[in-house]
Amino acid sequence: MRKTFLIFAFFIAIISNVPGQGLGSPGTIKDDGRFAASTKQLNQFFRRFNGEESVDGNIRFYPQDSLYRNLPLRKGFLTILFDNQTSSISPDLKNQFTKNVLSEVYPQYLVFHQPGWYAEVNTEFFFKGKREKATLIMKIQAEGLGYEWVIDKVIFEPFKNLFNKPVGDQKAFLHPLSHEIGFMNMRRAFQDSGSPESFTPSTYEPDYLAIFLYEMKQNNLRFETVTGLKFHFFQIEGWYFEVNQFNRPGFNTGWLISNLVRLGPGDKETILKYIYDQE
Amino acid sequence: MKNKLILFLGLFLSTSVAVLAQDNISPARKQAIDSLALEKVKDLSKYISIIGSKETQFSEANRVMDRAEELFAPGAEMGVSSINTQEIAYYKVRRYFERLMALNYDRVNITWYDIQYISDLERQPDGRYVGVITIYQRFEGTSIETGMNYKDTTKKDITIYVEKKQTQIAGRTIEFWDVMLGDVRVTETSA
Repeated sequence: MRKTFLIFAFFIAIISNVPGQGLGSPGTIKDDGRFAASTKQLNQFFRRFNGEESVDGNIRFYPQDSLYRNLPLRKGFLTILFDNQTSSISPDLKNQFTKNVLSEVYPQYLVFHQPGWYAEVNTEFFFKGKREKATLIMKIQAEGLGYEWVIDKVIFEPFKNLFNKPVGDQKAFLHPLSHEIGFMNMRRAFQDSGSPESFTPSTYEPDYLAIFLYEMKQNNLRFETVTGLKFHFFQIEGWYFEVNQFNRPGFNTGWLISNLVRLGPGDKETILKYIYDQE
Repeated sequence: MKNKLILFLGLFLSTSVAVLAQDNISPARKQAIDSLALEKVKDLSKYISIIGSKETQFSEANRVMDRAEELFAPGAEMGVSSINTQEIAYYKVRRYFERLMALNYDRVNITWYDIQYISDLERQPDGRYVGVITIYQRFEGTSIETGMNYKDTTKKDITIYVEKKQTQIAGRTIEFWDVMLGDVRVTETSA
């Protein structure tokens, strides 16, 4: 696997040294192949994963092109789409994944416009005067004449313990005959209880995104900056993988697979819960 | 019957959205748009080099800044981060150029790598298309007094907006594709 990676990365480096339509001016610096090998955009990750562009990335292949989704091309690309330096994905797991994705009878592809992938954006906001981290889980949706990214969930630490419903003896309640007294006992319940969530159903789940948006509208939350970004993919049947950006010297850089999991029954839900709740 | 009708209508509407949302720019058209966008990026690169150069007169730099600003859609911003911090610092395009001009080096040399990557064009809700062009810039600044020599290589991910427009020429309506630059993400690389 490592050998194939080196061969393919070297091949990209060689190809990229052929003068193309660069920025063109005489003072242009020749890339030694590192930037060519780098998966520079997530768009390139999609195209390489699917085998929809030339090795040097200069030609986009379409369904009518002979090399569109070409198997050997995809195989070459897949070897360079893994973080081969820091991630601990076993060669065996990579091979199983590659075999699965490149199956001749049922090849699998990533589809930009389809559900099953998410962006996890790490951000910082000022909340009531204090700088706080917030993680936004984003997804692509069709809207109007095209598509847009929308916030699916938010993970915001200050909200996390806001609704820790007391349990057992500690939990306040409205007794079962409250209706007979016209719920007059609500007054005491709400005035005395610091945990009004005690009076919600056992299935109650707070909508943190609604609270987050409300606080923004109240000017209690002010966006400051983005501090990180990664992507989660569930589009390949039976697999989950994470894509991170690697900004480092060498040829194995850019948007690469940093985590790979073969999914058993119920695993997808567990991972999604982990992503959403950051438990 | 009513339920069936609603189901059918729902299915029809969802299909329409999907069809509307499809990319209907042909590969040949895409290539032409890519070339046009690349020309704008080349212009921007040229302007950045002129603005950053110490040999450029103040009045000339200002004139070039005006030209450079015209390449961008209103409100476009530069988002800059370094190796040490992932945090993005935001600058309006003009402010970014002014900062570049005011850099305290005696000699500044800005060059570009012979590589670029052009993304697919995606349609956004308002019907305009959006894409991203990635290029790499090498910056070298030397201060004679301190003898300090600063070098960095940055990756610039430049948003492009592509829109079909119409104009009247000799009473005839001519349609053309216009390209504007948008937000630029500037990342320092380890290269």
